[in-house]
Amino acid sequence: MTDHGTMKRREFLARAAAVSAAVAGAAVAGRRAPAGETAARLPQSRVVVIRHESLAAEGQGPPVSRVRELLDEAARALGGDAKAADAWARWFKPADRVGVKVNCLGYSTRPAVASALATALGAIGLAPDRTILWDRTSRELRAAGYDVGGAARGPRCFGTDALASRGNGGYTADVLTSGEIGSLFSRIVADETTALASACILKDHNIAGLTCALKNFFGAIHNPNKYHENGCDPFIADACAHPLIRERLRLVVCDATRPQFQGGPSFRPQWQWPYGGLILGTDPVAVDRVALEILSKKRAAAGMPTLDAEKRPVRYLASAEARGLGTANLERIEVMSIGKTWLDVG
Amino acid sequence: MVMHGIGRREFLRTVGAGACALCAARARAEDAAGDSATEGAKPQAAVHEAMWYDRLADKAVRCRLCPRECTVADVERGYCGVRENQAGEYKTLVYGNLCSINIDPIEKKPLFHYLPGTTALSVATAGCNMECKFCQNWRVSQYRPEQVESIVIPPENLVRAAKTRRAPTLAYTYTEPVVFAEYVHDTAAVGRKEGVGSVMISNGYIREPALRDLCKVLTAVKIDLKAFSEKFYKEQCAAKLAPVLATLEVLKDTGIHTEVVTLIVPTLNDSAEEIAGLAKWLVSHMGPDVPLHFSRFHPLYRVNNLPPTPLETLTRARKISMDAGLRYVYIGNVPFSEGESTYCPSCGKVVIKRVGYNVDASMLRSGGCASCGHKIAGVWSQDDALAFKPKPPKEGKAGG
Repeated sequence: MTDHGTMKRREFLARAAAVSAAVAGAAVAGRRAPAGETAARLPQSRVVVIRHESLAAEGQGPPVSRVRELLDEAARALGGDAKAADAWARWFKPADRVGVKVNCLGYSTRPAVASALATALGAIGLAPDRTILWDRTSRELRAAGYDVGGAARGPRCFGTDALASRGNGGYTADVLTSGEIGSLFSRIVADETTALASACILKDHNIAGLTCALKNFFGAIHNPNKYHENGCDPFIADACAHPLIRERLRLVVCDATRPQFQGGPSFRPQWQWPYGGLILGTDPVAVDRVALEILSKKRAAAGMPTLDAEKRPVRYLASAEARGLGTANLERIEVMSIGKTWLDVG
Repeated sequence: MVMHGIGRREFLRTVGAGACALCAARARAEDAAGDSATEGAKPQAAVHEAMWYDRLADKAVRCRLCPRECTVADVERGYCGVRENQAGEYKTLVYGNLCSINIDPIEKKPLFHYLPGTTALSVATAGCNMECKFCQNWRVSQYRPEQVESIVIPPENLVRAAKTRRAPTLAYTYTEPVVFAEYVHDTAAVGRKEGVGSVMISNGYIREPALRDLCKVLTAVKIDLKAFSEKFYKEQCAAKLAPVLATLEVLKDTGIHTEVVTLIVPTLNDSAEEIAGLAKWLVSHMGPDVPLHFSRFHPLYRVNNLPPTPLETLTRARKISMDAGLRYVYIGNVPFSEGESTYCPSCGKVVIKRVGYNVDASMLRSGGCASCGHKIAGVWSQDDALAFKPKPPKEGKAGG
C-alpha cells in the first residue's frame, strides 16, 4: 500500500500529473494481468480518497455542485490529469450510454453523489439523457430520494422493473451463467448501456461483511437471494465477472460521506460516522479492499469485534482477484488521499 | 400469469367479488404509489407475517421454515426470495399472490393413488428454496414475486373456486409450496371445513415443525426425491439430501398419504446402484406400498447439454425398484408406457388403467382389486381424504 498521506492540493496535483496517465491505464489493464506475470511487474491499482467536512453533512448532504467540485478533483488525481474533463474522458466517451448503478437497499447512495457524477459526465459532451441512474426498482429509487423519471434536462432515472414491458420483469430473456451463478441480467445493463459506473455506498453487510463496488451489482441480477451463502462467495465475483459487467464497468465512485460500520445493509444511524469521503477507482476490487480497511479500522476504533470474529469475513475479494477483476492485496494498491488522510477514521 | 384450462375472466368471475375487489385495491395502491403502467412497475406483493421464524437482535430474524434457516437482516430476503425482513418482522410476500392457476388432472401432479380421475385446482406463487439446474418451471420458481405477473386470491375465494369448478382438491404445486406455506396452511384449513382436500407437491425441503403443522390440514403429499446422493443435491440443487429423507420419515410418521417422484437425469442420477439404493431406502423407511414415479428429464434452464431420458433408462429404474420390493412403481412423462397403470400386487391384473391423463378405475372396487380383492394402498374417496388426521409425533420426534 502506498499512502500519499495528506498533501496540499497544488502539491498533490503536481505529483499526480507526473505519475501520468500510464498508471491509471495500468490499473485497468492490471485487472486482466496474466496469472503467470511476476508480482514485481504487476501494475498497481490506484484508488483516490477525497475527504472534506462538507461531504459529511447529515440529511440531504452537500449540494450537488459541491460534490461535483470534489469529484472533479478526485478524478484529476485518479487519471493524473490537469483538467477534470480529460480525466472523465479517459473512462467515458460522448457516444457512450452510461449506467450509473446506485445502491438503494436499506441505506442508500446519496442522490447528490450520483447526480454529481452524472453532471461530471456532461463535461465530456455526453448528453444528459445518455446517462441512467438505476437500481432494481423505481419504487426503491424513489424511496431513496431519487427523481424517478428524471428532470427535464437531467439524466434518466428508473429501475429495471420499468422495462418490464419487454418481458421477464425487465431482465434478459435467457439465463446467463458466470462461474457458479445462473441469472437473468437487468436490461438496463444488457440493452440500455455501453458503460457502467458503480455509484455504491460504503457499508457493513450482515452476510458478505462489506457491501461496496462489487456487491452493488447483485442489483443487476434477478435472483441475488440465491447467492448469499458462504458470505456471497464466489457469487459476487462471478456476477461481476460476467462480460456484461466486467467489460462495461469503467469507474467506481463510492459514497463514503457517512459510511456505516455495523448493522448493514439496512439504515442504522447509530453506526454511521461522518467520514466525509468519496472513493474513486477504476479497479473495483481495489476500491472494495480500501473500503474494507476503512470499515475495519472504524470497527476497531469503536471497540467492535472484527468481521472475522463475527464469522463474516469478506471472502469474495480473493475470488474477485482470482477472476482477474482487480487487486485485493493492499500492498499493491496505491491509495491517494486528498484532504484528511484516508486512514484517519476518527 | 399461467392459466390453463380456465380463462382469466372466467376465473375472476368464479372467485367472485372478493378477488375483483382485491384487484381494484391493488390498482388503487399502484396509483397511490405513483407507479405508472408505462414504467412497468409491479404492485406490492401480498404481505403477511410469516408463521415460522425467530426474532434476533438488531432487527434480524432467523427463518425456521426450511432447513436453510436463513438469518435475514432488516430489508433483506431469505434464499427463497419471497420472504423479507421488514423492520424485524419476517413477512411472506406471496400470501395468495398466485402466478399460476390451472385445473389439472390429479394424475398430473402426479398422484396415482389419490382420487384417480378427479381434478385439482392447482396454484403456485413465485419462488423456491432450491435452485435445481434442470428446473422445469424456472420461469416462475426462480423469480421473485415482483418479477412475475400475479393476482391475489385469498384462501376463502380459492376454496370457493374449487367448489364451483367441482374440483375436490386444491393442489399447491408447480413451484415450491414450502415457500408459500402460510397460504397453503390457511387455505387447506378453509378447504377442510368446506369439503375440499389439499395436496402439496413439494421438494420436501422443510423443517419438521412446519411440516407437522401443514400435515394437520393437508390430505396428501407428493415429494420430489431428486436423487439419492448428497453430491447430486449439492451440485444440481444447491441443497442437501438428508433433510428430504427426514421429511419422508416424518410424513410416514404422520400417516399422510405420500407419493414420491424422481426425475431421472441422464448420467447424473441414473446409475443402477443409485436407483437401487433409493428404492431400498423407500422400502425400509416408507414401506413397500409407497408409490414411486420415475419421470423423464427434458433439457431446460441450466442443463441443456444432456438428452431427454431414454425410455430404457426409466424402464430399467422401474424394474430395479420393483425388484427391491416396491409394489407401485410408475414411469411418467412417457405416454402409452405400461408403467402408467396400476397393477394389483397380488394377482398382477390392471386395477387402474391410464393412458396419458385418461383414467379407467373400474377395476378398483372399494379400494381393492376387482379380480382378487387385494387392498390397494391409497386414498380412494373424498370422505377418506378429509378424514385424515396426522398421528401425533412419537416421544422426542418433534424436532424443533
